[in-house]
Amino acid sequence: MSHPSPSPVLSQGQNQGQPGIPAPAAYQVPAGTVDDVHAADGSIKPQWSYLLNSLQDLGPRLLTEREEKIRRILRDDGATYNLYGQDDSPGNAWELDAVPYIIGSEDWARIEAGLLERAELFNLILRDFYGPRTLLRHGALPPEALFSHSGFLRACQGIQLPGEHELILHAVDMVRRADGTMCVLSDRTQAPSGAGYVLENRTVMSRVFPSIYRESHVHRIASFYQRLRLKLTSLSPTDDLPCIALLTHGGQDESRFEYAYLANYLGLPLVQSGDLVVRNGFLWMKSLDGLTRVDVLLRRVDDLLCDPVELRSDSRRGVPGLLEVIRNGRVVVVNPLGSGVLENPILLKYLPEISRSLLGREPRLASVKTYWCGDASDLQFVTANIQQLIIKPVYRGSGLVSVWGGDLSAEQQAALLASIKKNPSQFVGQDRVEKTHLPTFTNGSLQPRPAILRTYSVATDSSYMVMPGGMTRIGNEPGGRVISMQSGSPSKDTWVTATEPERFIQSEATPDALRGDMDTGQISLPSRVVENLYWMGRYAERAEAGLRLLRTVFVLLNGEEPITIEARRILLQAVTKVTGTQPGFLNAPDALLASPDQELLLVIQDSGRVGSVKSTLNSMLASAEESKELLSTDTLRVINDLHDELDGLEAALAGGLASAPEEALDPLVTGLVALSGLMQESMVRSVGWRFMELGKRVERAEQIITTLGILTTPVAGEADRSTLLMALLTTMDVVITYRRRSRQRAGIELALDLVMLDPSNPRSLLFQLERLQQHLTELPGMITGNSALEEEERALLAAVSRLKLARLPQVLEITDGKRPAMDMLLKELDQLLLDFNTLISDKHFDHRTDVQQSLVANFGGAN
Amino acid sequence: MRFRVRHITHYKYASRVSHCYNLANVIPRDTERQRCLKNRITVSPTPSVTQKRTDYFGNKSFHFEIQKPHTELIITADSEIQIDDLDQALDLDLGESYGHALELLAGTTSRATLEAREFLLNSPMIETSEALADYARPSFSAERSLKSCVQDLTTRVFTDFAYDPGFSTIATPLADVLAHRRGVCQDFAHLQVGCLRSMGIPAKYVSGYIETLPKPGEKKLVGADATHAWVAYFCPEEGWVEFDPTNNTIAKSQHIVTAFGRDYLDVTPVKGVIFGGGAAPILEVSVDVSRLTENAPVLGQPGG
Repeated sequence: MSHPSPSPVLSQGQNQGQPGIPAPAAYQVPAGTVDDVHAADGSIKPQWSYLLNSLQDLGPRLLTEREEKIRRILRDDGATYNLYGQDDSPGNAWELDAVPYIIGSEDWARIEAGLLERAELFNLILRDFYGPRTLLRHGALPPEALFSHSGFLRACQGIQLPGEHELILHAVDMVRRADGTMCVLSDRTQAPSGAGYVLENRTVMSRVFPSIYRESHVHRIASFYQRLRLKLTSLSPTDDLPCIALLTHGGQDESRFEYAYLANYLGLPLVQSGDLVVRNGFLWMKSLDGLTRVDVLLRRVDDLLCDPVELRSDSRRGVPGLLEVIRNGRVVVVNPLGSGVLENPILLKYLPEISRSLLGREPRLASVKTYWCGDASDLQFVTANIQQLIIKPVYRGSGLVSVWGGDLSAEQQAALLASIKKNPSQFVGQDRVEKTHLPTFTNGSLQPRPAILRTYSVATDSSYMVMPGGMTRIGNEPGGRVISMQSGSPSKDTWVTATEPERFIQSEATPDALRGDMDTGQISLPSRVVENLYWMGRYAERAEAGLRLLRTVFVLLNGEEPITIEARRILLQAVTKVTGTQPGFLNAPDALLASPDQELLLVIQDSGRVGSVKSTLNSMLASAEESKELLSTDTLRVINDLHDELDGLEAALAGGLASAPEEALDPLVTGLVALSGLMQESMVRSVGWRFMELGKRVERAEQIITTLGILTTPVAGEADRSTLLMALLTTMDVVITYRRRSRQRAGIELALDLVMLDPSNPRSLLFQLERLQQHLTELPGMITGNSALEEEERALLAAVSRLKLARLPQVLEITDGKRPAMDMLLKELDQLLLDFNTLISDKHFDHRTDVQQSLVANFGGAN
Repeated sequence: MRFRVRHITHYKYASRVSHCYNLANVIPRDTERQRCLKNRITVSPTPSVTQKRTDYFGNKSFHFEIQKPHTELIITADSEIQIDDLDQALDLDLGESYGHALELLAGTTSRATLEAREFLLNSPMIETSEALADYARPSFSAERSLKSCVQDLTTRVFTDFAYDPGFSTIATPLADVLAHRRGVCQDFAHLQVGCLRSMGIPAKYVSGYIETLPKPGEKKLVGADATHAWVAYFCPEEGWVEFDPTNNTIAKSQHIVTAFGRDYLDVTPVKGVIFGGGAAPILEVSVDVSRLTENAPVLGQPGG
């Protein structure tokens, strides 16, 4: 099994001649750097040799290609991570290094045993803290270590989960020390993030390096997620099929990609606090079918924020009354509220005593040496050695960050020491652990980078299961001290390699098979998600209508035949009205009509202006983001393309509108058409799809009415008639049909017949209305064949009848240079559509009332 | 002594509240010197769910959820409490000295002492400070009995601070109260708790009621017809002792405890989240404490 090859593995040999791409330098580690690959005698450790040999065989050119492929897949999957302090950015691409972290199975067995023990230990600590608190009475921990920690939520006293464990998910951040043993830096017990990214990393690596992955006999991680799913199910207080939901912060969440991915993989609806409500002592999700009872909540929201009645009262991310529902055992929240107390680093100092008290022995897995400033002698040590220590607040939500004393100036050190002395119990000092370096593919060669490993354990019926592997993150620089997702450190897949092939478990589905449209009607959808799909449909259609009209107007304005100022006015006003960017060209002076470029540019790319193409597309993308977990991979790819095109729009229009400006808009139109095609071809005909369609049809009908109103109700002069007719036909995409049919009939009557009444034209008004009627009958809660029509059905029926009964020659009659009958018809239809939209929204979407804290009594007769 | 207490909390809203979730601490708890014999809470409109439980501090919490639209919310708590005349006012000069109490607090591992150390720490509304310690220090000396030190501090707070209902709100910081020397019972209780903790003595915030009927020849007590607040401190050998800085007295049989906490936030009489309600809701609180005798009940002062 061992491959004793003391020489550097990646030689420059065979690839030296490749032009353009630099050959990878051999993986050489500078003296003094602690490194995981080489043994003390300089030889390559056996677990690394297969991988490094294979990478050498690939050579730098192919490896660079694979690296590019990784990036592309991650981008297509929409893998992002929102960096702190960059809330308005659409998200940074998730970075995955091409070289996995290899851990041999014997080594892993030791780590795993330590992790299992640690999870059990932390579970017992949690149970004790919110129960009898014997650890304090037996002196294993000073009372202040617990009582002064903001993560200790007194309101959670006595809450117990069904089964053996309180702590369901336990994540541990650790580093490998120079002697090869692991050292724990911290525990994550609230809502450990990263498990979704691990899944994505594994999926990508196994696709990009299929043979290396296969031959390395990597332990599979899928069973971890199955265990999690099973555990969540077993926690349900009901015997019925439980409703398990994943509670997130919503759009601004730093790892929203991960949650959507995880929700999809586990088959759980993704909810935000506004989707949930406590009623009659139970927790419910507001869904289209009304309220759906929630039995288990996997939370990504910090516990302190989860219930504004009893916990942090200013929280907008919680569900009022949740804690009381939990207490009464009617919903189980994972990890339980209050579990953040285990992230207290003071515990690391006392862990040996705690472990002796609870397990009768010291923990196998070492923790970083920790000094608690609430302890007099530790405080003295920290004060004297601040330059050699990392100073950490004991509570992560305190707003303070960890600092390395050595980075501070003398004044900063003094200031830090002063705040420590003011509140010593709130700080710890920790030794800095020298991190082992791993080979990393950087700029075309293998470079050593320091690494941190986060592991994940999940409770099972009687014990815990550790995910084989985990999330490895690497520093951007050799020796770099700060490694965290928050600081944008790249990640690595972590491969625990088996010495013999692993048994294949039948029930394991591949991640890809699960990644599709989840919205199959199996799980209830929060009405927020459905509302977002509706608006996604509307915005996509609105953007497309605006773009089509703009293209038409550009072509006509710059066309071969000059057009009159009157036609110009009508066309430009059509732009304003269709995009909804009033006042724009309405009541515009002739000067503005003569040189409209400035305003037109704003209508396209001013994201601050409601109605501009960019703003509408941004709204569309935001709606897509809210319902991301329902969109297929292909749809996400198109969405990403639209993102990119939108980012590139300004550059494409940098030269102004002087030369063929319509070209710059084409990619956006193509993207929207692709999106609309995918909606037709790739989405399951579920409730979500229906609402997206409804939105699209309502919007298109409204756009047709608006366009007809401005282009046909004023009667243009003879010279302009054909210009405006062409504008109408082009915008409505019926030029060819018009030409074909114009042998029998011509002029505005044929055009209106095509655009308004032709039921076979998918862009006609009647077509939209009839589609709306169809979708309506399929919505949840609609009883078809009922003699009494629902209000929204009545509105549609009235619109369809009004349209079908219209006689075009009469509608087109001209009085005083106007078409009053046409005007009247369009106004009526517009009102009916507006009514329809309101009725649908009121019936199916959630309308939140303002929330406030009850006024609190002032004491002492002051009221 | 037996008392009947009626505590009414009345909210009026400018616009409709569609639903609300509330937590009330209006049921008197049992303590070493009192027992709550009866308690009945009526809420209007009728809640869809109500639940009583014992909280972390041993207080009785009452949770309720209303799903009916309303513009008024009335919570009426009727209680009967038996108070034993455990005379806390033993000779002030006997008992643990302040200095010895500090040693015991640091060195004793009895359960009561370990648990009392929680009340030495900062809490959401009370932060210990050098300024509070400076104010408290003249009342303390190592040899003096702790009880006498606390009595002296209580008297000084009573003397130095003006009772001024217009000065503070629940959000007024302790430092402002200390600087301006005025406030209401809640502020004085917070202040004295802060002073005691700053001097190394565990201290609790006590919320409750005080009997308002003046006895012949005695002054009417301030804090009448409202909820009241005072403090309790811990002495390792003697347990918890209550003092009332607003009335310059050790808590006697007229002090009816509702709840103990680290500060007001732990024992807020009624808190919650409402949906709707509009701007500037109005809150009226009225408390009636009446003494019951074997024969005829004595009527208390009207609330409000």
